[in-house]
Amino acid sequence: MPTTETPEIDIKTDIGDFMYPENHTYDAGTGLSEKTIDYICDVKKEDDWIRDFRKKALKVFRDKPMPTHWASGDLNTIDFDKIRYYLAGGQKPSKSWDDVPEDVKKTFERLGIPESERKFLAGVEAQFDSEAAYSNIKEIVSKQGVIFVGSTEGLMKHPEIFRKFFGKVIPTSDNKFAALNSAVFSGGSFIYVPPGVKVSHPLQAYFRINAQNFGQFERTLIIADEGAEVTYMEGCTAPKFDTATLHSAVVELVALKGAKIQYITVQNWSSNVFNLVTKRAVAHEEAEVKWIDCNIGSRLTMKYPGVVLKGRKARGEVLSIALANDGQHQDTGAKMVHAADETTSNIISKSISVGKGRSTYRGLVSMPKHLKGCKNNTECDALLINTNSRTDTYPAITTRGQKNSVQHEASVSKVSAEQIFYMQQRGLSEGEAMSLSVNGFINDLAKHFPMEYSVELKRLIDLEMEGSVG
Amino acid sequence: MSSLVPESLSPSLESFWQKTQSDTSAAPAWWQKRKAAEWEKFQSLPMPRRTDEDWRFARINSLNFDGYTEPQPIDEEGKRLLEERSLLPTEVAGVLIFINDRLVSFQAVDPKLAEKGVVWKPLSQAVEEDSDLLEKHFMSQPIELGSEKFSALHGALCKEGSLLHVPKGVEIDKPFVAYHWASGENASIFPHTLLIADEMAKVTLVDYFASADPNSRNLAIGVNDLYAGKGAKVTYLSAQNWSLNSLAFHLNSTQAFRDAFITSLNLHLGGSLARTESHSQILGENAHTEMLSLTVANGEQQFDQRTLQTHYKGHSVSDLLYKNALFDNGRTIFSGLIRVLEDAQKTDAYQTNRNLLLDPTAEANALPGLEILANDVKCSHGATTGQIDEEQLYYLLARGIPRKEAYKLLTYGFFEEVLEKLENSEIQEHFRDLIKSKFQTS
Amino acid sequence: MSTLEIKNLNVTVAETEILRDFSLTLPKGEVHAIMGPNGTGKSTLAKALAGHPDYEVTSGEVLLDGENVLEMEVDERARAGLFMAFQYPSEIPGVSIANFLRAARQARLGEDEELEVTKFYKEMYEKMDALKIDRKFTSRSVNDGFSGGEKKRNEILQMAMLEPKYAIMDETDSGLDIDALRIVSEGVNKLKGPHMGVLLITHYQRILNYITPDQVHVMFDGRIVKSGGKELALELEEKGYDWIKDEVAQTA
Repeated sequence: MPTTETPEIDIKTDIGDFMYPENHTYDAGTGLSEKTIDYICDVKKEDDWIRDFRKKALKVFRDKPMPTHWASGDLNTIDFDKIRYYLAGGQKPSKSWDDVPEDVKKTFERLGIPESERKFLAGVEAQFDSEAAYSNIKEIVSKQGVIFVGSTEGLMKHPEIFRKFFGKVIPTSDNKFAALNSAVFSGGSFIYVPPGVKVSHPLQAYFRINAQNFGQFERTLIIADEGAEVTYMEGCTAPKFDTATLHSAVVELVALKGAKIQYITVQNWSSNVFNLVTKRAVAHEEAEVKWIDCNIGSRLTMKYPGVVLKGRKARGEVLSIALANDGQHQDTGAKMVHAADETTSNIISKSISVGKGRSTYRGLVSMPKHLKGCKNNTECDALLINTNSRTDTYPAITTRGQKNSVQHEASVSKVSAEQIFYMQQRGLSEGEAMSLSVNGFINDLAKHFPMEYSVELKRLIDLEMEGSVG
Repeated sequence: MSSLVPESLSPSLESFWQKTQSDTSAAPAWWQKRKAAEWEKFQSLPMPRRTDEDWRFARINSLNFDGYTEPQPIDEEGKRLLEERSLLPTEVAGVLIFINDRLVSFQAVDPKLAEKGVVWKPLSQAVEEDSDLLEKHFMSQPIELGSEKFSALHGALCKEGSLLHVPKGVEIDKPFVAYHWASGENASIFPHTLLIADEMAKVTLVDYFASADPNSRNLAIGVNDLYAGKGAKVTYLSAQNWSLNSLAFHLNSTQAFRDAFITSLNLHLGGSLARTESHSQILGENAHTEMLSLTVANGEQQFDQRTLQTHYKGHSVSDLLYKNALFDNGRTIFSGLIRVLEDAQKTDAYQTNRNLLLDPTAEANALPGLEILANDVKCSHGATTGQIDEEQLYYLLARGIPRKEAYKLLTYGFFEEVLEKLENSEIQEHFRDLIKSKFQTS
Repeated sequence: MSTLEIKNLNVTVAETEILRDFSLTLPKGEVHAIMGPNGTGKSTLAKALAGHPDYEVTSGEVLLDGENVLEMEVDERARAGLFMAFQYPSEIPGVSIANFLRAARQARLGEDEELEVTKFYKEMYEKMDALKIDRKFTSRSVNDGFSGGEKKRNEILQMAMLEPKYAIMDETDSGLDIDALRIVSEGVNKLKGPHMGVLLITHYQRILNYITPDQVHVMFDGRIVKSGGKELALELEEKGYDWIKDEVAQTA
């Protein structure tokens, strides 16, 4: 039966645990001040409006307290004065891997990015520390009028679209970390899909942190115009440093009438990364936004993807898988804000806590009184592997209006000893049996992932659990 | 909010405290000391803030203590009328009726039970006669659900209530019943209930809380603490029907030791703002607690329900079911947490909140939480909010039952799941009538 | 005027047309059976008559003793004397059968009239005994946790207690074993008479062995395509519905 001993469990998060010597042309230095912002703006040659936007955000960031009245006290260990906010090689993102600096190219080759691009992607952006090193979209897609560039380029070259939506889904003052991102953001993707265009293959971004004591603050804005469809996937890794690394992104999605956006994240930061991310979408009439969120790495992740269901019959969905190992806290969840009639939302969250790992679900569902015929369904299941594993569930649900219904269910379970015994009796090792059980637990969710990703996911969650059931 | 510093919280409460001090000058020293400490605590603790997690969704600005004052004694005619309104089951083990925290009627326990050591008496008397027992147990359970300040105010100003102590092995089938009336504009009462069931004891206690005048404004801060010793079986029932202008707190704590079984059922009908906090502590293996609550919210009423099920020991069960029916602009907040500590393996803990919205303007908030630190557990929670089931409604209409009547029937039906668990059919019927009477006014 | 008259009724469900110019006259005192293959609109007819909100009457008339039923709310139709025995009766946890029937009976009294409770219970118990329903059932929640047979008997009990002018029985025989079928049929036989018309919707002929119909109608594609005496049911049982389909195809 399970014991309280620290289990010998090794999740394969080490795939990204390597680094190359730093080679930065631009370095905003350590700590955060108006000077840091001026430095970033000067390097990026940004307009004054964006400089003002950043400086205002800095003030908001400073004024806002740490949200430790509800969130983990671990946040207080982040020393904002010891972080480097902007590191870049200085070259423009290349359209060909051949032009990418050698060490950066090797990094992404080791992570398998060019290979995936060839196989199944419509476009790739690869960010190395603060800026993209590679950015390419297949010609067939760009000919349809699809824009897929870095956020800086989006801001410079497509201001008429960019400014209209930027910061509108997630205002600077949304939370402390959204404000921080707004002050120092760099990198991330800008995507625009014209009306009726359905991008058949996913667009992918890959975020790599290579430098120590660094903060990565990418900013992504995706707009799917009327009837458009797009799938975006992001992955991320960093080497494991002794000091804390900060990743704080802001992702805004806008699905106009009848559009569909699917946003897939496989987060595999090393276990020293604070991953504090704000992600939200607005879904207009009959639009559909689906967040597929998988969190395996990081020391502390706080991320609650949301959908504001703004138009009639809009649909929002969050499918979330979290795995918390020893020393990890996956504080994830979902927000569904119903703001129009007949909107529906669905949240399915599965978490696995291993060793002293802690997984937390936080949810928010809101249906105000003027609405009719809205529905929400939420299911949260937690699997606890060891006796000292921990899970928490904190949903907040407000319901008014006519013919609105909300249903929330949560359960906690462990891997059943009988199940393990049964499989062992059929000749599987204890570890294999445990691995099968865990994969079985997430199976019905994993199958919602695009095939390539569900394979990746299973590989990542391939637990080596020998000895964990002693 | 920050303007509500203790001094301005209510000057009338300040003089209430001075009066209480002088009234208790002859009481045992520990009692005086304890009350002074509670008053100090009340003054030093801050008012709840909007950002406090324990007060999430609550309308803090409804916490208005202005004008609440020590209630006046009432005349003989008034007493007689309220005694008449105090409905009792045919068979009772003992009765206490209080009006404005003053004893007006006392039916003592059967001498045979008294011989066995059963104690049933008003708190004021117990302070003198059962000082040791009271000193040990009075307000000794942890309060940690947000109303620490108001609990301290209760500790300072409380002077009446019931003490029920059932010694080891004594089983009593008939219920003990206590009535707590608040009478007069701005009358403030602080009813206290302390129930101690020793090992293998069995007992049922019913508390009724009500305002004498449905239009008066009252403040009520009630605290009840229940102890169920090893193998004890405790049933605690309460029904509150404060006036719709009242501010009410019901702070409940229970401790269940090994093999104990505690059932509590609370019916909430009154108050403009009624906050209940229930903490069930499972301290022994095989202990089982059942926490049930029924609420009808209408008009502008707000019901704020905070619950905590803490499993310190495993192989234990806690099961919570809170059902709320909401009309008009009625508003409910259910915030519950199951906390299973590291050593509490083999725990079964359940939490269910069902909200029935009968008007589009009603608002139900649910915050069902889990904190699980042990892995071999069965824990689940569910929260649903919805309207009357259309198919059920149609079935009733198809039998010729008018729509309004069908709504009523289905709403009563919504509560039956809980009411039918009541073993005493008279109390069951009384609770049912109280619910129906609320529908008559709505 | 003592008829339930259905004239050119057209009904759609989720924008699909199900009943097409359906017409039928059911006089009081008679039992009419409606038979037909699955998906032909039998249950739609029952639900539309009872006023289920999902069923939209696009045109046509339904007159109950000359009164326009379609203008009435669901409960008004019921009080006007139209009873439907459901194919799948709803489960209503927390509402006891006794309270349910009391409320239904009370609703049929004038505003100042109070139901005589003792009389009501006496009558209910008699009727329960006749239907071989355990008296303890009165305190159970309506259909909650009932077996298929118990649910159907409960429907007949309600029919007995509410004494409708016209009863529409929607596949009351489905899901019943032979004993339950006999009990239910006996119940219906006791209730039928000159004061009540019965429309018996069924897929199988077997219930007609117990309840003798005055007329049998065959329904196909949303309307009645053939009518006859009780022998028509036997013919259908023997030859199946394909024979009717062929006949319809020929005349079309």
